[in-house]
Amino acid sequence: MTIRLFIAAMLALGLEAQQPVAPTQEPVGVLNGETRGIYNVVQSWELGYRFSEVGGNRGEYRSNTNYGNGIRVLSSNLILHSKNGRAKYFDELVLTTQGLGNDPYESAMLRVRKNRVYEYDLTWRQNAYYNPGLVVANGTHFRDTTYRWQDHDFTLFPERHYKLLLGYSRNTEAGPGLSSQQFFDGRGDVIPYFANIKREFNTYRLGGEFDFHKVRLHVVRRWEFYKEDTPYFLNTPTRGDNPLDPTTLTQFSRSEPYHGQTPGWLVNLFAERPRFAVNGRFTYAGGERNFILNETALGTDRFRNNQNRQVIVSGTARRPVTTGDASISLFATTKLTVVNNSSFANTRIDGNNFFQEFDNASLSGSVLNFQFLGIRLFTNSTDLRYQFSRKFSAYAGYHFSDRLIRSIEDSAAPGDAFDGVSAQQTNHLHAGVAGFNWNPLQPLRLHLEAEVGRNDNPFTIVSERNYHAISARAQYRRKNLQASAQYRQNYNNNSITLSSYSSRARNYTGNVSWAARAWVSFDATYANLHLDTLGGIAFFAGTPSPQLISDRQSLYVSNIHSGTLGVRFALANKADLFVGYNITRDTGDGRASSVITAVPVDALLYSVQTFPLTYQSPLARVSYRYSEKLRFNVGFQYYGYKEDFGLFSINNNYRANTGFASVLWSF
Amino acid sequence: MWWKLTFCAAILCCALGPAGAQTAKSPYIGSAVCYGCHTALSQQFFKNPHYVSIATKKETPDNTGCEGCHGPGRAHAENLGKKSLIIAFSDLSKKQTLENCLRCHANNLSKANIQRSIHTASDVVCNDCHSIHKSPEPKYLLAKKQNELCYGCHGSVRAQFSMPFKHRVNEGVMTCSDCHNSHGTFAPDWRMGARPRLVDQRLGNEEPCLRCHTEKRGPFVFEHASIRVEGCESCHSPHGSMNAKLLRRPVVFTLCLECHNGAGTFGRQNNGVPSQSSSHNLLDPRYQKCTTCHVRIHGSNSDPNFLR
Repeated sequence: MTIRLFIAAMLALGLEAQQPVAPTQEPVGVLNGETRGIYNVVQSWELGYRFSEVGGNRGEYRSNTNYGNGIRVLSSNLILHSKNGRAKYFDELVLTTQGLGNDPYESAMLRVRKNRVYEYDLTWRQNAYYNPGLVVANGTHFRDTTYRWQDHDFTLFPERHYKLLLGYSRNTEAGPGLSSQQFFDGRGDVIPYFANIKREFNTYRLGGEFDFHKVRLHVVRRWEFYKEDTPYFLNTPTRGDNPLDPTTLTQFSRSEPYHGQTPGWLVNLFAERPRFAVNGRFTYAGGERNFILNETALGTDRFRNNQNRQVIVSGTARRPVTTGDASISLFATTKLTVVNNSSFANTRIDGNNFFQEFDNASLSGSVLNFQFLGIRLFTNSTDLRYQFSRKFSAYAGYHFSDRLIRSIEDSAAPGDAFDGVSAQQTNHLHAGVAGFNWNPLQPLRLHLEAEVGRNDNPFTIVSERNYHAISARAQYRRKNLQASAQYRQNYNNNSITLSSYSSRARNYTGNVSWAARAWVSFDATYANLHLDTLGGIAFFAGTPSPQLISDRQSLYVSNIHSGTLGVRFALANKADLFVGYNITRDTGDGRASSVITAVPVDALLYSVQTFPLTYQSPLARVSYRYSEKLRFNVGFQYYGYKEDFGLFSINNNYRANTGFASVLWSF
Repeated sequence: MWWKLTFCAAILCCALGPAGAQTAKSPYIGSAVCYGCHTALSQQFFKNPHYVSIATKKETPDNTGCEGCHGPGRAHAENLGKKSLIIAFSDLSKKQTLENCLRCHANNLSKANIQRSIHTASDVVCNDCHSIHKSPEPKYLLAKKQNELCYGCHGSVRAQFSMPFKHRVNEGVMTCSDCHNSHGTFAPDWRMGARPRLVDQRLGNEEPCLRCHTEKRGPFVFEHASIRVEGCESCHSPHGSMNAKLLRRPVVFTLCLECHNGAGTFGRQNNGVPSQSSSHNLLDPRYQKCTTCHVRIHGSNSDPNFLR
């Protein structure tokens, strides 16, 4: 009974996330594993069929959810532990997988370890990415690619005073896509063309960790290689989206090999003593990328003139980054801790390119470009923590940052002298933070925190200038009951002439998880995320010729209500039923219909001030326990996406019925 | 109760026989004695990463097995399990709990910044997230599945991952620790190095976004400076959003125009972020979707306006 209650509590108190309906969460097999030779073995395997039926905008469904039809190894779990901790080849083996077979989200994790000798970790993941050609990009940036990641980490002598670290990571993205460009001048039509996306990123790591006189030195040398060889092309005559524009692209191709490397160092030194701890870090990463672009385009421009254009660009971009950190923690008394940190980061980005454009076989443009962006940041922070009693502690801190940005932008015809625009600016941040933690009762925890900050010269209009943040949380936690409530607000005001930008975010959240009995448990969450921002904008609009408009403001109001509810029933120790519901609704500023106005500019701005929509997903799953080692499971999950007004009068609504049937066993 | 005490006393007598007599002055008695009373824990302890100290027999008594964390056990055992004579984590303050674990785990790069972590300041310490004896997770002794553990306190983040556009954390292909180090991080080199939010950084102090979105990493000849100075969050909500592409606004042009209005001392030239071209009539639909033409908005090697 106690074990059943424990399992019920673990399941109930772990359902807050509202996971997808499959894989099944209920356990199968002997909870503590079985003995096989010198090993204890815990294992389970779930094989099933997943289905989906989608109505409405299938592209939007694939972008948000993307579960399809087919047989999958929905999950697997194999864990071996040697019982004496001294096995010949390995003492621990953990293999878990999810979604193998063709789910859009597949992963596998492997750990093999022999005590004091080696440890190997592998993580492999695959994500089917789908961008349906979103409305915000005029439907022209379709992408159907697959991301794959793999990380290998090998540690020799993990528990000794010296370690050898080896690592390899590989990220790739590949698949078809669409991109777009404006032809053949700055007022021509935008025409989409194909892209065969190919990207590869490989990282090699070699390092070590050494203890000497109770000081630990951690050194890693790292080499990163990136290459992108995405060809862009179009072989069929195509026109743009504007029916009034006669621009036609009959042939287009672009090759743009972009290769480079980022070699780097990481050195970390740290030590902890009864009275103090020190931690110092130095990193260097010298990024460099070489590129050549060769683009040819044939067609007719907006004046119906034939165009034959070639663009060639070549050059190199560099970004060396150096950072240093030093922290010292003083444990002045058993109750007082003082931590001071100083950090320094220097980023220098410079790059040059040689741009040549040939129109109708004659050179129409030849430009040399050079840019430099340097960012130097120094920060210092001091924090004090004091443990007044076992039940009450408080902390306060002061943070200072100094940033220097230097910029040079230059372009000239070959042979001309460079006389670029250079600038320099500094910004200082002063911020204070304070908070306390209080346990008035054993299961009750209260936390309050506040922060105030001032920047004197922020980089962008939406950056923080005069800001404050307040956060409060109450948490009640007993064995079978957890409840918490939280409030957080972030306010920022960045006010200057024309552009008085303000941002106000308020979050209210609460959740309750209760394992009422061994056979029934509940989980409910609610969150209200409010955001309103207001900023001055300037733009050109009007007919017949656009005029500068600078007396309008960009207002955005988002008021999101998010709730989840989950109930789990264990039926006569034979079956488990889980019923859940998840809804996220942005009510915007509360308007019931689109604002209608006769002024076109105002109509446009009103239409994007808020974007109310509802995204909901009820689900149910039954898991029938045929025997201790065998379960049969079926589940259903509905996805509904509904925009109230659409965007630019286009609605992407969809509904999807998905589900699965599976067998989960342990042998 | 009496039979438990009798049983423990019997176990103790056996364990402290001749061998016990030899080390009578040592306050440490070894984990085998603990097993006598704490049977349920001992039966599964070989699965615990801390078991390595017992298995290899290479550690000193104060770093071995039960006494490695709970302190010397002789007095506790000789007094028939008197709770006040052993370190019981349920009785420790948060600070004491942290110090106890850091006795061994401080020497670890991933925990190098734990003393300045906001979790430590907020009294969120090791056993709030790790269950040393009853972890249901196969790695790191986590008390729950990682994202559920984080959602327990970060309710607004849970709501963000329930939005239609989100990183696939609930779907299991990503975890919170792909981007965050809950044990504390070094100061970031974007956003004035302030409020690191436990965001983990790569070797070059880059945002973790660039670990997967490698094509946006650069370096580029023409950088979109706000990305390097302020970070990806200038335009994106990294956990989840009601807007496509995790954007902070439903449409691109308001996102762009809120910075690109030419006002103030902002931008890399310190004289305002350049406003849009006079040829761009915002009432023309093509100019409402900025990235249709400015396709390389994260950085370009060919065009200062990010057109190719």
